[in-house]
Amino acid sequence: MSIISTQNLTKIYGSGDTAVTALDHVSIEVNAGEFVAVMGPSGCGKSTLLHLLGGLDSPSDGAIAIDGKPIAKMPDNALTELRRRKIGFVFQFYNLIPVLNAVENAALPVTLDGVKPSEAKKRAIEWLNRFGLGDRLNSRPDQLSGGQQQRVAIARALVAEPNLILADEPTGNLDTRASDEIAALLRKVSKEFGRAVVMVTHDPRIAAYADRIIFLKDGSIADETILEPQNGKNAAMVAGMMKEIGD
Amino acid sequence: MNLQLTLAWRYLNGRKLRTFLTTLAVVFGVLVLFGMNIILPTMLEAFQVNMMAASGMVDVTITHQSGGAFSPQVTDKLTGIDGIHAVSASLNRTINLPADFVDHDSARSDRITAISLVGVDPEAVQSLHVYLIQEGGRFLQAGDAQAVVISQSLADAYNVKLNDGITLPSVNGNVTLTVVGILPPRTIPGNEEVLVTLDQALLMTGQTDQINTIEINLNTTDETRRNEIVADIEAALGPDYKAGALEAGSEMFAGLKMGQAALNMFGALALFMGGFIIFNTFRTVVSERRRDIGMLRALGASRRTIVGMILAEGLLQGVLGSAAGLILGYLFGAVIIALAKAPLNLFIHITMGAPVVSPMLIATAVLLGVGITILSGLIPAVNASRVTPMDALRPSVAEVEYKRRTGITFIAGLALIGLAILALISKNMGLVGLGGIVFLIGLILVAPAFLRPIAYVFGKLTALLYARQGTGELAQGNLTRQPSRVVITASATMIGLAIIVALGGMTTSLSGMMDTLVHKSLGSDYMFMPPSISVWSSNVGAGPDLVSQLQTVEGVGDISTLRFAAAAINGSQPVSLLGINPETYPRVSGLEFQEGDSSAYTALAEGRNMIVNGAFVMMTNAKVGDSIEFITPKGPQSYKIVAMATDLLDAKVTTAFISQANLAADFDKTDDIFIQMNLLPGVELESVDAQIKAIAADYPQFTVIAGKSYIDQMLTLVKVMFSGMYFMLAFLALPSLIAMLNTLAISVIERTREIGMLRAVGATRKQVGRMITAEAILLASVGTAFGILAGLYLGYVIIAAMSELFPITYSFPIGGILAGIAIGLLFGALAAIIPARQASRMNVVEALRYE
Repeated sequence: MSIISTQNLTKIYGSGDTAVTALDHVSIEVNAGEFVAVMGPSGCGKSTLLHLLGGLDSPSDGAIAIDGKPIAKMPDNALTELRRRKIGFVFQFYNLIPVLNAVENAALPVTLDGVKPSEAKKRAIEWLNRFGLGDRLNSRPDQLSGGQQQRVAIARALVAEPNLILADEPTGNLDTRASDEIAALLRKVSKEFGRAVVMVTHDPRIAAYADRIIFLKDGSIADETILEPQNGKNAAMVAGMMKEIGD
Repeated sequence: MNLQLTLAWRYLNGRKLRTFLTTLAVVFGVLVLFGMNIILPTMLEAFQVNMMAASGMVDVTITHQSGGAFSPQVTDKLTGIDGIHAVSASLNRTINLPADFVDHDSARSDRITAISLVGVDPEAVQSLHVYLIQEGGRFLQAGDAQAVVISQSLADAYNVKLNDGITLPSVNGNVTLTVVGILPPRTIPGNEEVLVTLDQALLMTGQTDQINTIEINLNTTDETRRNEIVADIEAALGPDYKAGALEAGSEMFAGLKMGQAALNMFGALALFMGGFIIFNTFRTVVSERRRDIGMLRALGASRRTIVGMILAEGLLQGVLGSAAGLILGYLFGAVIIALAKAPLNLFIHITMGAPVVSPMLIATAVLLGVGITILSGLIPAVNASRVTPMDALRPSVAEVEYKRRTGITFIAGLALIGLAILALISKNMGLVGLGGIVFLIGLILVAPAFLRPIAYVFGKLTALLYARQGTGELAQGNLTRQPSRVVITASATMIGLAIIVALGGMTTSLSGMMDTLVHKSLGSDYMFMPPSISVWSSNVGAGPDLVSQLQTVEGVGDISTLRFAAAAINGSQPVSLLGINPETYPRVSGLEFQEGDSSAYTALAEGRNMIVNGAFVMMTNAKVGDSIEFITPKGPQSYKIVAMATDLLDAKVTTAFISQANLAADFDKTDDIFIQMNLLPGVELESVDAQIKAIAADYPQFTVIAGKSYIDQMLTLVKVMFSGMYFMLAFLALPSLIAMLNTLAISVIERTREIGMLRAVGATRKQVGRMITAEAILLASVGTAFGILAGLYLGYVIIAAMSELFPITYSFPIGGILAGIAIGLLFGALAAIIPARQASRMNVVEALRYE
């Protein structure tokens, strides 16, 4: 069953002479438990696509359905609730609240949803334990390494048990080792916990962890490829395809 | 704990310095408001307690509308009214006692500075009051002469026993009365009562066959019935009398009210300022946390949650700030009261107790403190809720707004300034005060349009003087790219300086006026001062004997006296009537004329004419040429206004000056309450001093002072008053420094990456530090420029409003402006210290990575 389904998704910024078409009739489907990477050169529209999928921005034209529900015309309150319950976000700069500790940060979405704080914390601790942060529960973001912060962010994305995780350059701010850890973790999220994961990245090595890669260029889908699971050659192949598209 | 509160608390806790500084703004606002307001009620209450106790606790007290005396036959009108249980007519006068009059010991401070002389009909009064005479003594009897009943506590103070004599001042000099009965010690606050027969009291106050109070007790406690009886009584007595408490202190209340209005304006400005600083801080807090807020929105926090979070911060700060403000405000009030105690006791004989704190006042202060904080946080909070989740994802680049600045806000600002000027023209005190704040807001709105030229001029100047190598230009560029932000920061300085310049103007003008008035009103060689200046009704005057005795002294020239009567106009508005001798008064003392000239003195002698002061005109809206009807003990009488003028002593009190002949004819008052005299030219003070002091010894109610020393004393008092004003000024200026510091620090944090870039391309630490300092000084210059403009307006407004009341002219506060410029620039430089260090010490790599 498809978690994401878009038809002719179009986003135009500005108007008249200065209008820029960021997305041009993009139609995609993502299924439950699938790990999809979105790649493409700078300005190809990959971030715009992610923002539209997350209900952070509204499309100029076309339709998006998340979990079967159309969201293109949803009012702000409904969108807010959708983000809180159905979607988990992971950002490049982690975006943890600096004044809250790991547990409190991870618990945020459910706390915002009105779940009892003790219950919210319990759930957050479960996820943090799964991600190997059991000994850093009370650390504030500034006391954690980049990789650790991103793991807290992923725990936060999962704490409300959404079916969809959207990750915007989740490794963009990390070194190679931490990047691999995070990419592997996202794969685990999709495979072990059955969530759909959509990840925007420009790093072929990270994209190689995905099941499928969508290549965007100038706002439209330029190519799409299904990867063999973990055969060790994917990274090189993806890099080749990127070159072909013209990155 | 609730998530919003948790976040609010953690954020506040995470930035302790910032939180402290912002909370301080609330503290200052609440402190000023609360402190000021506990001082005045304390004075009012002290006064009321004195009055209440002096008037006694009975059901109904009848007095004349004028507050003056009337015939005892009036009581006859009450016979036959159903429901009256008992009636007692009496003559009540508060008598202020000279220093050391009771204990003759100058080493000890006086416990008793005033007494209530009560002349009663012994039989009638005992039907209303119960007098527990101690063993061996007796109450007064009809026909008792030189007999007195006092309390044990007063007897102790005089150190007398039953059948001993006590001495009291009277219009005929000191009188000794025999104590025939002693009452239990007085336990309620207020003046000691000295009970004598009505005849004795009349003798001592120089009146004949008159009373000023009728006390009535009713035979029912039913509220409706009581009101009916009171209505019957009022109907029987006619419109010239009123039922209620004694009105003896109304001139005093009028003065206090004026002061309260002025202080409330101070409090309002302080709160406005506090609100502004909070607004400013929250605005910067929101822009600083754009990313956090965007992320929260992305995670599913609703708009309302965001508003709640920012407001929760406001609430926490408001509560903390108000609590601290209350405590400090109480201390502030207590200190002021402690300082004011001595002068107040000296000049108007009011003994003040501890500060009075009403639950209402606490509630108002807390409500305003917390309310203004939340209100100031509201706009930033709503702005925060408009932060889109996208803001969390975009790399943050400090936004640049190069929009045209002459939009709707500019027009609105001009409109507000226009309104403020209209308010100024309307000359309505309330509107003018409001106009001051409207003017400030208007300036803030139009300021962005003028920012660029001002920044350009000052920028060139700074570049020339201080920040060379392009840093000055860079600082100027940094400022002009976000005009509205800069204006808000600069506004904090602007308001602080506006207040300094305004008060500077007011102070120069006021002290100039005081100087003229002091010399004009009190310029005589000798003065016989009663215990209470301007609260004339509680003073015991002297009969004509004193003046004729003084005239016999060789070397004494003109003598001028003031005589007093309480009067009422328009039904019940109290007026203080002062009788002067039109011939001698201008020679010895004098009025400062606002309308008319000294020919008005002659007019006073030519019929029922009067000279009125500013307070009188304010109250009645009368003009020169109008006739005003007074309620006199002999029925209504019309007086025509021939001039408008003010003397120093009565400037705050609704006062009319008439001739002493008229005062005697219409108000039956012939006793002198204030005497001024000049020596003949060439006569040395030393040659007459002993003789004058000897004559004065029989009239201990007067303090005899040589004019010169009194002027010195007054001018010292004026200086103390003004130093108090400068103290408040500092109170108001300090928060603006805090606000500047705050905003500057934030503008540095916000541009971390930019500063890192500057360092990366080769700017030295020193250059970065200079850039920030230059920015701060530029900011301060802008604030100073507008502050001086606003201050000139405000100062002019205040003086214009006061000139209705006092003979005051606006003097341009050059000193205030120079001080304003110096303080403004100093503040700018001071505020830059921390942010400049912060910026120059920034690690380049870290800074470039900073988001």
